[in-house]
Amino acid sequence: MLYNLSQYVVLKKEDFNGFISDLVKEQKVVAPVAKGCGQFSFEEVKSGSEISIDYIPTILPPKKYFMPRDENIATYDLSNGEDMEPVVEYEKMLLFGVHTCDLAGIQCLNMVFSERPRDLNYLIRKNQITIIGYECNFYCDRFASCRLVHNHSPNGGYDLFFTDVGDRFMIHVNTNTGEELVAKSNLLRKAGEKDFEDLQRVREAKNREFAKNEIPIEHEKIPELFDRAYNSKVWEDLDKRCVACGNCTNVCPSCYCFNMIDEPNLDLKTGRRYRQWDSCQNESFAKVAGGESFRKERGARQRHRYYRKFKYPIAKFSRFFCTGCGRCSRTCMACINLKETLNSLIKEQGMENPEAGKV
Amino acid sequence: MTRTKPKVAFFDFACCEGCQLQVANMGELLLDVLGLIEVVEFREVMSEKGPEKIDVAVVEGSITDKHAIERIKKIRDRAKVLIAYGSCATIGGVNGMKNNFKLDDIRKEVYGDRFNYFDTVETKAVHQVVKVDYFVNGCPVYIPEFVKVLKAALQGIPYEVPDHAVCVECKLNENVCMYDRGVACMGPVTRAGCNSWCINNGNICYGCRGMVSNPNENGAMDIIKKYNIPMDMVINKMNMYNKCREIDKREQKKR
Repeated sequence: MLYNLSQYVVLKKEDFNGFISDLVKEQKVVAPVAKGCGQFSFEEVKSGSEISIDYIPTILPPKKYFMPRDENIATYDLSNGEDMEPVVEYEKMLLFGVHTCDLAGIQCLNMVFSERPRDLNYLIRKNQITIIGYECNFYCDRFASCRLVHNHSPNGGYDLFFTDVGDRFMIHVNTNTGEELVAKSNLLRKAGEKDFEDLQRVREAKNREFAKNEIPIEHEKIPELFDRAYNSKVWEDLDKRCVACGNCTNVCPSCYCFNMIDEPNLDLKTGRRYRQWDSCQNESFAKVAGGESFRKERGARQRHRYYRKFKYPIAKFSRFFCTGCGRCSRTCMACINLKETLNSLIKEQGMENPEAGKV
Repeated sequence: MTRTKPKVAFFDFACCEGCQLQVANMGELLLDVLGLIEVVEFREVMSEKGPEKIDVAVVEGSITDKHAIERIKKIRDRAKVLIAYGSCATIGGVNGMKNNFKLDDIRKEVYGDRFNYFDTVETKAVHQVVKVDYFVNGCPVYIPEFVKVLKAALQGIPYEVPDHAVCVECKLNENVCMYDRGVACMGPVTRAGCNSWCINNGNICYGCRGMVSNPNENGAMDIIKKYNIPMDMVINKMNMYNKCREIDKREQKKR
C-alpha cells in the first residue's frame, strides 16, 4: 500500500484526553461509552475519560444520528385547507471512534438517501456531522465477518481516521473538515518515517489476524450463492426459530426502512408528520388493506433480510449492505447467527472454499 | 362558532383504579385534554353522574360477575364509542388469574361459608362481553398512548395497537437486554406501544400489554432453554396478565 506521509499526523496517547477536551469545547462530541454487561453505545461525552476506545460494536450503530428513530418531516394545519410546512431537524456534532464496519454502514445510507428523489432531511443532517474513524487491529468477537465484505480496513467515509500504533495514534487526514480540525489543535505533529514504519507494522500484523474470509466463500461468489438459495431449507429452519422481535434489523447499520405517521395535536387541527424506524421483521410491516400480508411467515421475512444485505443491493448499488459488524447475530434472542446461516447455505449449495480470501 | 365538546365518561369494573389515577395525574397535559372534552362522569375525581347518552365511554377493569355483565352492556348502549383502558379491561389482566381455579373454590376462599350469596363468573376482558372500539393496553396505561387513542377516537379514525414485540422499542432505547443481565423478561412476546417503559427504568417486562397476535411459541421455547429458565416460572409469568387470552383462543376455534 502506498502512504502519502503528508496526509498523516500523530497524537501521543498521553494527549488523547486533551485532544477530546479541545473538541468538546467546539461542538457536541459523541463517542462509544460502556453500558455494562460488555455492551456499549454512542453517547455524548464531555471528556476523553468517558470514552471506551476498546469497544465492540455498540448496541445501535451511529445511524441513530443520521436518521433519528423519530424524525419530524413536516407540520400541518387544517384550519384553512391543508397547509403543510416541511421541517428539517439537525445538529452539528462530531462522531468519534467509528469502526470501519460502521463507516461502511454510513456509506450505504449515503447511497440510499442520495438516490433521486434525494432525501434532503438526511443529506442536510449528514453535512453537519464530522466523523473520526478508529481502526480495529484485532477481531472484536466471533460474530464479526468484516473481512468477508472487505470492511475490516478503512475505505474512506471519514474526516480523520485513528490507528493505534503503540504509544501514539497515527491519524489519516481525509477531508477539508479533517484538515481544519488538525489546524486548530496544538497537540498534533506531522508524521515522520518512524511513524509510517509503525503503521505498516500494525497493518501487517492485522493482515495476519484477518488472513482469510470468516466464511468459506469468495466475496464475488456471494451473489451466485443467493441466486441459488432462494428456496433453501435454511429459511425453513429460521422460520421455526425466529420470534420476530425485530432486534436484527433495528441494530443493523444499513437497514433504513421507516414508517410515516401523522400525529394531530390536541386541537385536532394542527399536527406533525414524522417518520419512525420500521422493520421487515415486524408482523404489520408487509400487511396491506384487507389484512393480507406479503410476508406472513417469519422465515420469509428473515430471508428477505438476508437478500436485502447480500443480493438486492448488489444489483442496485454494486455493494454488499452487510457491513460485517455482527450486531444482528450478537443481539438475536433466538441465536440466529449470520455466519452460521451463510455456512449452511454454502454447504447446502456445495460452494465451500476453505481458502477463500486468503492473501 | 362554538363546537359542543364531546361528552366523555369514565367507568370502572374489577380493577385497582390505578389507570384512572394515571389520567388524573396527567399534569399539565390534563388541562389541554380538558379543553377538548367535557368529562361528565369520573368517580375518581367528581361526584356528578353523566347523562343518558354519552359520546365516549372509557372503561377500566375486567368483567367478573353477572352484575358487571349487565352494567357493561348498559354502558355500551349509552356510548357512541367505547374505549377499554388498562390491562384488566383490555386483556383481563391480573384478575384473569382467577380462571386458574374452580369458581366455587374461589368464592369459598373469599366469602367463607356465605359464599352462596355472592355470584362470580369467569373473568373476562371487556371485548369478550361487548364490542370495544379502542384499546389502551398496559398496567397502568401509558399516558402518551392514552392521549393518542383519545385523539383518534375524537377524530373517528382507527388506532392500531402495535403488533410487534416490546423488544423493538427497547432496542431503539438502547437498553442492555434483560436476558443479558440474567433476568427473564416478557418483552419478546409482548405487544409494544409503551416505549419499553419498565425496562427503561430497570424493571423487566411483565407482559401487561398482552401478547403479539402471532407469537412463535417454538422459538420462545428455544430462548427459554438457551437461558435455562424454568418452564413453570415462564407459564406463571405469562398467566399473570394473559390468562384471559385462552377465552379469545376458544372463541376463535368456535368460528
